[in-house]
Amino acid sequence: MKKINRTYVMGIVCLLLAAFIAWQTTTIPERLVSNEPGPKAFPFIAAGGIALFAILSMIFDGPKESAKGNEPYLDKAGWIRMAVIMAEVLVFCFAMQFIGFWITSMAGMFAFVWTLKGDKKINVIFAVILCVALGSICYFGFTRGFHIPLPSGSLWKSLGIKMP
Amino acid sequence: MSAYLSALMTLLQPVNFIMMYLCALVGCILGAIPGLSGGLGITLILPLTFALTKELSFAMLLGMYVGGVSGSFIAAVLVGIPGSAASIATCYDGYPMTKKGKAAKALSIGIVGSFIGTFCSIIVAMLCSGLIADIALALGPWEYFSLCIMAITMVIGLSNGSIYKGLLAAFIGLWMSFIGADSVTNQLRFTFGNTNLYGGINVICLLMGVFALQQVATSYAKGQQEMPEVDTKSLGGIGLGIKDLVENARCIIVSLLIGLGIGFLPGMGSGISNLIAYGQAKNMDKHPEKFGTGYDPGIWATEVSNNAGVGGALIPMISLGIPGDATTVLLLSAMTIHGLTAGPMFIQTNPDLAALIFLAVLISSVTIVITELATKRWFPYLLKAPYHYLFGAILMICFMGAFSSTTSMFSVYLVLGFGLLGIVMDMFGMPSTPLMLAFILGGKIESYFRMGCSYAKGDMTTFVTRPISLIFILIAVFSVVGPIISKSLKKRKAAK
Repeated sequence: MKKINRTYVMGIVCLLLAAFIAWQTTTIPERLVSNEPGPKAFPFIAAGGIALFAILSMIFDGPKESAKGNEPYLDKAGWIRMAVIMAEVLVFCFAMQFIGFWITSMAGMFAFVWTLKGDKKINVIFAVILCVALGSICYFGFTRGFHIPLPSGSLWKSLGIKMP
Repeated sequence: MSAYLSALMTLLQPVNFIMMYLCALVGCILGAIPGLSGGLGITLILPLTFALTKELSFAMLLGMYVGGVSGSFIAAVLVGIPGSAASIATCYDGYPMTKKGKAAKALSIGIVGSFIGTFCSIIVAMLCSGLIADIALALGPWEYFSLCIMAITMVIGLSNGSIYKGLLAAFIGLWMSFIGADSVTNQLRFTFGNTNLYGGINVICLLMGVFALQQVATSYAKGQQEMPEVDTKSLGGIGLGIKDLVENARCIIVSLLIGLGIGFLPGMGSGISNLIAYGQAKNMDKHPEKFGTGYDPGIWATEVSNNAGVGGALIPMISLGIPGDATTVLLLSAMTIHGLTAGPMFIQTNPDLAALIFLAVLISSVTIVITELATKRWFPYLLKAPYHYLFGAILMICFMGAFSSTTSMFSVYLVLGFGLLGIVMDMFGMPSTPLMLAFILGGKIESYFRMGCSYAKGDMTTFVTRPISLIFILIAVFSVVGPIISKSLKKRKAAK
């Protein structure tokens, strides 16, 4: 199977982005302001710049990349690892909203540690204690010490449970 | 002189001194944690100062400010994640130096560089704040616009690899800066009806996504989970000699001037100066190819310039009542709360307080450098922590920092989105620094351009007819065209 030249893919994606920006810019209502270019000018410049340099990059960098032999960014195992860590981060974000920062920080950090350790062995009890301690310090330090709110969890609110 | 003596006596009173020192220490810790900053510390203690005397309030606030700026290099050096936008360029040489096992030296340069930047800039601010403020007033939106353009093009020159990909990243960053309400007519752009986007994208979210999340995800995906080795033998002492200072004197002086110059321009800050100083250091060095490999001048340039912004930012704040950066906005609010009006008459009407502000920065920088040098030997032990514990904790703290920057879950999802963007950019070989700088400067570029056109009644030629503006534009053009011409000349020579 022929490998994809990443510069050409990037160029096409950026051209589509430039077209989208240009189209969106045309929808901006313009108020009459004298002696200045108005709110549409710079987004159009940005779209033009993206399109221009995407094309230039395809013309000048594309052939260089083809000549280099197009090494893959990640192997199959690497893509799987990338998917796992990003999925964990996504779950972490959702959990932060629904069950609050305190529980999520402890459980999420443990999940990150477990994933990032790879093949290495870890002391599970130590990891649990560390995650509980750090998550609690961050949560109570911010909410009680600094009075900076952190998400307390919409689930508990809907159930009428008051979290610390 | 009597004002300075009186201010010194006030600051050396035990309560004032201890509180200032504690705040500087807290600021340093906040600055070192990715996503948090000294600005956050100032926001937190601002309400506490309502009930305190003016002297104690400003001692605490300025201690926090100096500590926050001084500490931001620590994470950049040790884990390659900038504590704030002020230390983005510190990662380029600080982290590679740590990877080489020279974390102690990288930290020493960061500590001493930060001190030189803050100390010298505040001396300049004390001696000639009136004069510098007059210069700042003489510059108009035309010069500011050209300066911003110059800053971006100089940084694009830094990008290893393709200049076209660097420019492409810069234009994407520029577009992202236009998301939200337009600064001149308040017209909403690219918000797609989402109220969270009305105020634009928070810079912390972009920083945490593009730098922190991207780095953790790609290093894990590529199986690069080894922590750098730490040379524990060289951890004691200052770790630098007079020889190091002499060898890098030119780089230090130029970076100091860049930091001061950028700092005193209203609205500009250390997030910009560190990148420009790094670019300048690379351009004027005999061995530009060594930059990015753990080269001393790379760290000197960024740390001196970003801390020089402290003195630089205080000049327009005190002399003109115009904040030099985001943190001085908070300091200006504190002045208003205490019934003070910053501006041309401030130094004449409040000589004692003006002296106290300058001296508080000076003393804080001295106490912080002593503390950092004394405790420096323990910092690299952070790298002895296993990768999975350290980066697991960093991920969690990044999301906490992003949430606390706006107290909105939307920021958390933005970090995730920008993390994906960072991964895609890394895959395509696009540098993230031009994107970051163009994002920081994009709004300013647009508003200065539109203001310039408006003031000149629609005449755009003023951008090239004003001499200083023209110089900035010429430098900008040369930064882009220069490397292309030099490459083609080298090719021709090689062909011959």
